[in-house]
Amino acid sequence: MNVIYPLAVPKGRRLYCEVCEAPAERVCTACTVTYYCGVVHQKADWASIHEKICQLLIPLRTSMPFYNSEEERQHGLQQLQQRQKHLIEFCYTVAQKYLFEGKHEDAVPAALHSLRFRMNVYGLSSVELVPAYLLLAEASLGLGRIVQAEEYLSQAQWTVLKSTECPNATHSLLHRNLGLLFMAKENYEEARYHLANDIYFASCAFGTENIRTSGGYFHLANIFFGLNKMDLADTLYTKVSEIWNKYLNNHYQALSRARIQQIDLLGKRFETDTGLDEAQEAEAIQILTSILNIRESTSDKAPQKTVFVLKILVMLYYLMMNSSKAQEYAMRAFNLAKEKQLSVQEQNAIQELLNLISAQEAQPMT
Amino acid sequence: MTTLPPLPAPRPKLTSLARQKLPCSPTSIPRSQLIKEKEDIDHYLEVNFKGLSKEEVAAYQNSYTKNICVDLLRDGYHKSFTELFALMEKWEALRERARSRSLLWSQRPLEEQPDKLDHFYYYLTRAEVAERKGYFEDVYNNLYALACYFNNSEDKWVRNHFYERCFQIAQLIKIDGGKKEAEAHGHMGLLFEEDGQLLEAAEHYEAFHQLTQGRIWKDETGHFLNLLACESLLRTYRLLSDTMLENKDYKQAIRILIKASEIAKEGNDKKMEGEASYYLGLAHLAAGEYETALTVLGTYSRVSTELEDDLNLARAYEAIAKVLQSQKNTTEAIQYLKEVVNIARNNFRSLDIVKASTMLGDIYNEKGHYSKASEYFQQAFNTAAELANIPLMDETKVHYGIAKAHQMMLTVNSYVASADLPSLDHLLSWKEGRSDIAPDPVVEESRRATLESLYQTSEDLEEELDNQTNETSASF
Repeated sequence: MNVIYPLAVPKGRRLYCEVCEAPAERVCTACTVTYYCGVVHQKADWASIHEKICQLLIPLRTSMPFYNSEEERQHGLQQLQQRQKHLIEFCYTVAQKYLFEGKHEDAVPAALHSLRFRMNVYGLSSVELVPAYLLLAEASLGLGRIVQAEEYLSQAQWTVLKSTECPNATHSLLHRNLGLLFMAKENYEEARYHLANDIYFASCAFGTENIRTSGGYFHLANIFFGLNKMDLADTLYTKVSEIWNKYLNNHYQALSRARIQQIDLLGKRFETDTGLDEAQEAEAIQILTSILNIRESTSDKAPQKTVFVLKILVMLYYLMMNSSKAQEYAMRAFNLAKEKQLSVQEQNAIQELLNLISAQEAQPMT
Repeated sequence: MTTLPPLPAPRPKLTSLARQKLPCSPTSIPRSQLIKEKEDIDHYLEVNFKGLSKEEVAAYQNSYTKNICVDLLRDGYHKSFTELFALMEKWEALRERARSRSLLWSQRPLEEQPDKLDHFYYYLTRAEVAERKGYFEDVYNNLYALACYFNNSEDKWVRNHFYERCFQIAQLIKIDGGKKEAEAHGHMGLLFEEDGQLLEAAEHYEAFHQLTQGRIWKDETGHFLNLLACESLLRTYRLLSDTMLENKDYKQAIRILIKASEIAKEGNDKKMEGEASYYLGLAHLAAGEYETALTVLGTYSRVSTELEDDLNLARAYEAIAKVLQSQKNTTEAIQYLKEVVNIARNNFRSLDIVKASTMLGDIYNEKGHYSKASEYFQQAFNTAAELANIPLMDETKVHYGIAKAHQMMLTVNSYVASADLPSLDHLLSWKEGRSDIAPDPVVEESRRATLESLYQTSEDLEEELDNQTNETSASF
């Protein structure tokens, strides 16, 4: 029974669709606290985020149980806040991951949830709303709805402009999205300006060599690539690959050190870890594969650059425990190195990586 | 799946816009039209009101540093940006540290010095363009220009940073036969020398010297690079040997100084050669190898005579005299020292006169010629008084006092030894007057003569001296 009749709802209480805020006609039978205007929106929400948070919504949307003491009431309120904050982060990460994977439609309901909880917790004009606006803007951009994206971005920009203290990270994200918007509108002057701002703020927040700064460089490189300024784009792509190489290599080295130290502990398996969250992993894959594509198109001139990117990808997949992909890329790197007759040292390094991965695969997961 | 309308934003306008697609919501102006209107307004403002363009607004709104950084980035100069950003961070960190150390010290933040930022922008971008094209010489020139610009006491670390960068770049330049590399080595040597890391400095200077050997390169002020290298290397070697001598590591010091004098010989500069032998001679003297020291110092004096350089000649003679004195060969030492005094007097070098006279006095004092000793000490004192150099005056005063006390001791001793009534009278009268002592008729004539000559010194000097004389003679 997941159909409800709006007219049967008690007077003064109105039920709205979770996605579009129209009067609701259906209810989710699992949690009974989420309403929809129709099957389409219910399906969309379920596929995007509702499946993951269905049960978590119940305590937030039912009235609080009766507490006997003030202390308990305070405690209950605090717990509620905690839950909402957790949901904000969770929905945000999920939406971000969808975006990096290119599933823009799926990202929208998740981002909307994040935005809604943010409004509940922080109020309407808080800077905290900006990241959610930005996600929505990015999703709209991905869906090709530029006007809608601009709307969200204007909203975000206005919020940032009004607030006196806004973290640099948020500034950076806002400018990155504005940059993307102007790229989509093919206004490259403005796009470059905003991406430059993005890199500046990201550098202030995380440092110039951080993986979170790399995104700005990558988009800037894309603009120059589009404008056919190959030498500029080339140095920027190199910069991005170096940032990722440094980061992944650190993790990789730490892992191999641990392996050497504890080699005889009865073949104990080591946990491979990238130290990234899902969204960042998706971003890494997206950025690195597109750089790889560009490198491969100009592979004849500088094969070592292609091999470099391939090696980073191998490390990434290896740390993400995706050995089949890691092996595939390692083979490609190995063949390319052989074909172009790169230095022996380079070939050995790749060979070593390849051995490591095959050893990993031979040892089945327990 | 069809479209997913956005969540209504807090604004009623946006809410209405979001609902327009739903069957039950009222229609309103399409969003695209609204945004188009906004763009029209923006355009209108930009065209009709000068000074309202977005860039100008940003320029007023943001700090100058941020504008510079954004300018760098939007044109793709990311390496310059990274470098500038790191420098700015370090600048701030240094400022913070300095502020916590002293309240008064205040270096202005980089933000308030736009001319410096402009210089960074200008040279860094040019260097990056050159680097992209592979013109490393241009890169070097631009970075070197920056290093020169920051060559003041406040921003020394910025200069050092660019010297290091120059050094890295210079190693990539191969076309010019290593001139840039040599220069960079020279700068790095200077950097380490200022930092007090003499061994590293010497290493760089050696490379500098080796690269410039047999070349006729000149720097921008027209000096020969090779000569410059020799000078710097010698200076570093000397400083190195100084520390070694302090640690009594004579062998090492002498080895380094021999190397230095060889380099000086190759440098074909007589003056430098002389200088090197002088320090080598002093090292030999410190090590107690007097014969070698004499031969080396002989070279120095010969070179100085060839160059007709009196001052260096005086220095050579003085050093030789020191060696001779250590060898107990006082007569020759005295000859040399007298020569030094003559030369110094001819050149009006009062300090040298004081030094040489004091040494002469010392020698005479040791030999027991007290009257001569006090004569030279007096000369030293008078010259020091002319210079109005208080510490030097005090020092010579003491020397003079000691010599005079020695001189008087003999007479006093003989009076005490004779132990008769007239002698006692003499002693008592001297005790009262404190200024004069009558010569004992029994004591030899010659001594009396010297005594008398002694007391012809100026009156004020006697006043000062008496106290000291008593003090020092009491201690004997």
